[in-house]
Amino acid sequence: MTENRKKILEMLAENKISVDDAYRLLNTIESAEGSRESAPKSGTATKAKPKYLRVTIIPDPDHENSKDVDRVNVRVPMSLLRAGIKLTSLIPTEAREKVDGALKDKGIDFSTRNMKPEDIEELIESLSELEVDIISSKGEKVKVFVE
Amino acid sequence: MNRPPAWIRIKIQGERGGFRLWLPLFLLAPLALIIFIILSPLILIAVIVLWPSGWGRWALSALRAAYNVLCALRGLKVDIQSRRETVYIDIT
Repeated sequence: MTENRKKILEMLAENKISVDDAYRLLNTIESAEGSRESAPKSGTATKAKPKYLRVTIIPDPDHENSKDVDRVNVRVPMSLLRAGIKLTSLIPTEAREKVDGALKDKGIDFSTRNMKPEDIEELIESLSELEVDIISSKGEKVKVFVE
Repeated sequence: MNRPPAWIRIKIQGERGGFRLWLPLFLLAPLALIIFIILSPLILIAVIVLWPSGWGRWALSALRAAYNVLCALRGLKVDIQSRRETVYIDIT
């Protein structure tokens, strides 16, 4: 029994609070403890971090030109994306300013200087929802997804 | 743990021929380490000389980043097959 429950029962025994109040307080404590216990469970239920970005192009067997279609199977580790994005910190200041300026000219207000490791993780986590599925008129099935 | 890839397999096949490369990197790693140890005094001198200008820190960061990219290559696979050409790269 927790200290809080004991205190409530003591207050009830001393007639400091009514039975209804004690019941309400005990319920409040119970629900608070329940949400605390369920929090780590919901954390483990989250999706595993994506490991690879996959791009596949395969011929559509139902299409007449399927024999002419190139087959592509590319698997890019997410760690390579992370390492690549971190490489932006090595860009010399002058070059970085030029890149930022060029992006601004194109209407993109983005600076590589402001990119933090948390942003990279957020970006990679949001990629877990990515799924592109295209069937082209040339008889190609294009899929982009993460696994 | 961040560790460099152990194998690189490359196969490129075209109409005019092609080549296959099967590189056991784990066998080359000790050789690379020896070369790095031999070159390390030169690297150290270069870093010390370049430190006041700010490029020394950059050189150290670049070395670390290059190693990280090498490690991150583990798991990369490119397999492209057309009627006439084949490109296969597998880094494990």
